[in-house]
Amino acid sequence: MRVQLESGKRSSPLREMLHTAALGLLLVPATAKAGDPTDRVDVTSLLYGEQGRTQVIEPVVRFTHLWADGQSVSAQLAVDVITGASPTGALPSGVVQTRTSASGRVITSAAGAIPMAPFQDHRVAFDGEWQKPFSRIFTSTVGGHFSREKDYQSLGVNAKLSTDLMNRLVTITIGGGINHDSVFPVGGTPIGLSDGIVVHSGSNSKEVKNVLLGGSRILTRRWMMSVNGSQTFESGYLTEPYKVISLMNPVTGAPVGQLTDKRPSTRNRSSVLLSSVYHLNDDVLYTSYRYYWDTWSVRSHTIDIKYRRDLDTDTYLEPLVRYYRQTAASFFTVGLEQGAPLPDFATSDYRLGRLQTITLGATYGTRFEDIQGDWTLRAQYMRQFGDSSPPNAIGIQRNFDLAPPVNIVAVVIGYSFGY
Amino acid sequence: MIRRMVQVCRLMIALALLLSAGCATVHPWDRDLLAEKKMSFIPSPMLLAVDEHIYFSKEASTGGMDAGGGGCGCN
Amino acid sequence: MAIRAANEIRGSEVVLNRVEDHFVGMFEAMASPCIVLVDTDDRDEAEGLLEIAEAEARRIEQKFSRYRRGNLVDRINHSEGRPIDVDEETALLIDFAQTCYENSDGMFDITSGVLRRVWTFDGGSAVPSDNAVRGCLRHLGWWRVSWEKPTLRLPAGMEIDFGGIGKEYAVDRAAALIGASTRCSYLVNFGGDLYAARRRRGDRTWGVGIDDPARSGESALYRFDIATGGVATSGDARRYVRWRGKRLGHILNPKTGWPVIDAPRSVTVIARTCIEAGTLSTLAYLQGPEARAYLEEQGVQFWIV
Repeated sequence: MRVQLESGKRSSPLREMLHTAALGLLLVPATAKAGDPTDRVDVTSLLYGEQGRTQVIEPVVRFTHLWADGQSVSAQLAVDVITGASPTGALPSGVVQTRTSASGRVITSAAGAIPMAPFQDHRVAFDGEWQKPFSRIFTSTVGGHFSREKDYQSLGVNAKLSTDLMNRLVTITIGGGINHDSVFPVGGTPIGLSDGIVVHSGSNSKEVKNVLLGGSRILTRRWMMSVNGSQTFESGYLTEPYKVISLMNPVTGAPVGQLTDKRPSTRNRSSVLLSSVYHLNDDVLYTSYRYYWDTWSVRSHTIDIKYRRDLDTDTYLEPLVRYYRQTAASFFTVGLEQGAPLPDFATSDYRLGRLQTITLGATYGTRFEDIQGDWTLRAQYMRQFGDSSPPNAIGIQRNFDLAPPVNIVAVVIGYSFGY
Repeated sequence: MIRRMVQVCRLMIALALLLSAGCATVHPWDRDLLAEKKMSFIPSPMLLAVDEHIYFSKEASTGGMDAGGGGCGCN
Repeated sequence: MAIRAANEIRGSEVVLNRVEDHFVGMFEAMASPCIVLVDTDDRDEAEGLLEIAEAEARRIEQKFSRYRRGNLVDRINHSEGRPIDVDEETALLIDFAQTCYENSDGMFDITSGVLRRVWTFDGGSAVPSDNAVRGCLRHLGWWRVSWEKPTLRLPAGMEIDFGGIGKEYAVDRAAALIGASTRCSYLVNFGGDLYAARRRRGDRTWGVGIDDPARSGESALYRFDIATGGVATSGDARRYVRWRGKRLGHILNPKTGWPVIDAPRSVTVIARTCIEAGTLSTLAYLQGPEARAYLEEQGVQFWIV
């Protein structure tokens, strides 16, 4: 005799009542098992290189302590060492330029080369977080952040509250954060859209407030989805002090001078992110899509797909692909025509222009027999495509690739262990 | 500012409705697969943080994943 | 069958055997043989799951047994009318019991335990006097209790007892913990109350036998297959009292203070969880001769002996 539980029989109200009561009863979270590690150390190291541009080395170490009641604190220290050069925003000069570097080497730039400015910096960042479940269904998280660079400082706090509903099928999260940043450019802060000769000293402040509302839902035994909405309000000094915009001859397009970058002092960013995690027996498929829009008229679409394949119980390989596409900010321009009235705001920073990024990569995770802990290696190749021939390029600028593709390689090595 | 938040909320509600369609329950004893560490929206927060930092400095968009993190004067 | 062998397990001994294509783990807790079947070839995995089940069974026994000195139930029963704050898990169990009370016209009552002061179910024929029963009934009735989560105020002289749902709760909890730790099919059986999950490899199911109450432990009266669901049985052939030529089982009616007259020997119910099955089988048993009609009305799969 085989018993069919969901047979055609009608379930009585009492049975339904009991079932609901039983589910409420059985969703008491499991208590931590004795012997579970209570301390965890995560170490990662990022090696980042752009072809012919910026190089970054960033080691990060994080320590986490867990209590039996689910409470945890973590502290993280990150150090970035950044060297190289980045585009100034200026247009190619149109002539072959030769100059002698400080070490006596002769540097020749092609006629269509994008002007670059060398720089080096380092950044130290400290993050702390405290997470505490304070009832069966609520978890609160508070965190703090401090980072400092030669010319930039960021100080922030954030908080988050999550609650499980509908027998833990649904999780709702609300969160928010406030950052107070200071920008104090080396050599003073230039006046926007000026020749940059007059500067004022001291620091410029920037406030960033962020709110986040998220919901996730377990759809089936192997599928969950989430939707996150976030809103960020930025105000203060949002300009890049070292970026410039070329003044060009209105006929030939040849650069005749340059003005400093100037961006609006407020920016409201909105985004909606839809994510899915799907379990295919052993493999897991992660997909997400984000739509972003802001008051600078930047709109973007991001699609991110990762596929984790478990090679055995300790080893996995996770290829990833990401596609990103953005529209240009309303005040983005390749250059300003000499003699024409100045706009209120302008930038030639390619990151605010029309842009696409394609990322291909893979993560490999493994354990070693004699060494406790998990190892991960992630390698990614990114290629950024800007607007090579923007419609407002004039004269000789039409001959040049104004946004040559940027090739980036990023490798992350991670090691984590609990004790 | 308020209008933008209303916009975000409206989109969120539409998507939440989409998510709540087909409300099947998944019992606690059927959460074997969901209980695996890899079944998470952010299986590796450290790797996510690295990626977010890279994309924050190379693209004009940010946000979506999490509240928190800090700014940088990335060139 | 493996269920028989479990009767030989005693004390803190834990046994894990491979039987054909699956593992059978056994231990004793809550005064019952406890069995965990795991459809796997991996001994380590089966052992880990058995440990989870055993730890949970012992934890629940320790926490909710009315026979353990110093636990929360003991403190509540000796509170002499003082309010006691209970933890989240206990509160949920009390909520569950209250739901059962409200939906059974007061027949399911966790304060019924006081009647055991006057009743002895040892197969003899001694029944208490009407006065003694009436005396107990003055200390019985959930309506006398004040329950405002998380504060419970039990009037002096009353007691609560999770015995009616404790074992079933332990089965479901152990099953939920195992279920979250493995993808294998498994069956958790604590003293005949059980929960099975998922179809076994090869699209098979677990076979379950129901004892003949008259010849407990000897032969299965019914056999059925189960893939996912909880099974519980109410009625115990060994704990009864003889009265006017009738066997009265140990389940007591909280309204009369008496065992159920003309009740079935045993009622077995299948439901989505073990605790639901246990509640329904107890409630059906309390209906006495109406047990069958009662269960038919609920639309569940059941066996009545």
